[in-house]
Amino acid sequence: MKTKVVQNHTGPPAPGQRVLDPVIHAVGLTKTFGHVAALQGIDLTVPKNSIVGFLGPNGAGKTTAIKLLLGLGRPTGGTATLFGLDSVRDSLAIRAHVGYLAQDPRFYTHLTARETLRFTARFFYRGPADAIRARIDETLELVGLEDKADRPIRGFSGGERQRLGIAQAQINHPDLLILDEPAAALDPVGRRDVLDVMEGLRASTTIFYSTHILDDVERVSDHVAILDHGALVASAPTATLLDGDSTTYELTMRGNEQAALRALRTHVWVNNISTVAQNGAIAMTVSVSDERAAESELLRSVLATDDVVVTSFGRRHLNLEDVFLQLVKGHGR
Amino acid sequence: MTTAATAAIESPLIPIHTGGWRGGLGNLVRKELGQWWATRMWWVQLLVWLVLLNGTTTMVMLDSGMAPDALVNEAVQTFLLVGATAIGIGVVLTIQGAVVGEKELGTAAWVMSKPVSRASFVFAKLIAHSVGFLVTALLIPAIVFVVQARFLLPVPLDYVQFSLAVAVVALSVLFYVVLTIGLGCTFKGRGPVAGIGIGLILVGQFFKGMLPLPMVLFTPWLLGDVAGSFALASPPDFNRMIPIIITAVATLVLIYVAVWRFGREEF
Repeated sequence: MKTKVVQNHTGPPAPGQRVLDPVIHAVGLTKTFGHVAALQGIDLTVPKNSIVGFLGPNGAGKTTAIKLLLGLGRPTGGTATLFGLDSVRDSLAIRAHVGYLAQDPRFYTHLTARETLRFTARFFYRGPADAIRARIDETLELVGLEDKADRPIRGFSGGERQRLGIAQAQINHPDLLILDEPAAALDPVGRRDVLDVMEGLRASTTIFYSTHILDDVERVSDHVAILDHGALVASAPTATLLDGDSTTYELTMRGNEQAALRALRTHVWVNNISTVAQNGAIAMTVSVSDERAAESELLRSVLATDDVVVTSFGRRHLNLEDVFLQLVKGHGR
Repeated sequence: MTTAATAAIESPLIPIHTGGWRGGLGNLVRKELGQWWATRMWWVQLLVWLVLLNGTTTMVMLDSGMAPDALVNEAVQTFLLVGATAIGIGVVLTIQGAVVGEKELGTAAWVMSKPVSRASFVFAKLIAHSVGFLVTALLIPAIVFVVQARFLLPVPLDYVQFSLAVAVVALSVLFYVVLTIGLGCTFKGRGPVAGIGIGLILVGQFFKGMLPLPMVLFTPWLLGDVAGSFALASPPDFNRMIPIIITAVATLVLIYVAVWRFGREEF
């Protein structure tokens, strides 16, 4: 059963007014297209000044969720608030504080990059032409498009369009950047540049971005939300997700392997042991059923064995790919 | 302090807080007008209408076999009837993709991700295309027609009556601009937009003489004829006001429908 959230409808945050935490708060957000459930009641919270990676396989519903947050679609059920404002009722006020990059950004191709940014900036600002020009120049420099600023967009490559997409999303110095696959069309250098830009904005902006590139998420995100078949299967700080599998331990040793194995097998809570020879050492992966017992006795029992030197020990450290695949496969079953 | 607030302090740029239905309207109108007047579109359209309207009327004016009054009548009727019909077709053909094209390409979704109201998006297109067509397809050709008439017609033109007639044709142009934009807001493809728009004009041309007058009066099909009657200072007749009133009301209703329909669009 979904919780009904009472909206605090206070109008758009004025300049100087502190925006409410969290920046995004969705409760039971649902979207169906005919009989197809694109989003199945997701609960999502994005804290202020965080970088949140929004992961999921193709068709998981990431873009749908993003469009609902921006008011580009209407939820079938549930609610979403951004800065404490309702995503449907207050969409215009919300969009004044948001920068958005679409998955496949499209612009008016007869305009140049500079004209596109001027057009975008005028939705947010008025003021001296020099000041607008300075903002545009600064943004062009941020994405490395200074030398292509006055060329029509119709001649731009996919990567250049993506850079322009990031530039137009950032032109208003938004409080929230929503990026749908920001690095998908970029080469490795372009990807690194985008990640650098995102990291540089961490202090001043909240970033919510969808991606398939798990390495990028691991590098820059402090929170991860994983969507699969329209359902949110995980949402947690990245460190928590990668904190390790508390039922599997990794131990590297030199010496009498058989003696160590015998010692481990005396414990009833040891379920399985696998070993791999590794540069003259033995790497053991031990799965257990009692985490507490393993923490206190596993290493001790091996060290108590004659002729064994342990060079490393700890809970198995996961990477995001492991976590992602576990969650998505588990959910798909 | 929000990022926007920090930027406001550091920069002389002033944040825009236009909410409601006018959000983003000025910027969008400027962009849409730019597509008319900052590209070759305006002179291509002007050239087409000068050739079509003024070229045709020049040929009529140079017909030496007609009596002076009949010649004036024929030239004026030709300008207004051809104008009311051909500009309508030109409008539909030219702007059939104005909304649908943006929905297909994704630029509408991009614009709507900015602080822009749905109504502003529709109104910007209505304003820019109305101004574009009224100026290039009607106003300038009408001025050229007056100059032509001064030099080529044996009887002077009644400028006031002719201006009233041009205003009636302008209403017809506005109706077809609104109809085409409204259809674009309603349908996902160009086919229905062009088909319904052109179909409506052609059906009117083929059948307005066959259908009973009371039926035809309640359509925009007679606007060219009504304009002709104004230009030739025909005696006052309430019947000729009916197509004007009906078209004006239909135009307002179509604007409402267009804004309502685009407001429900999902991107």
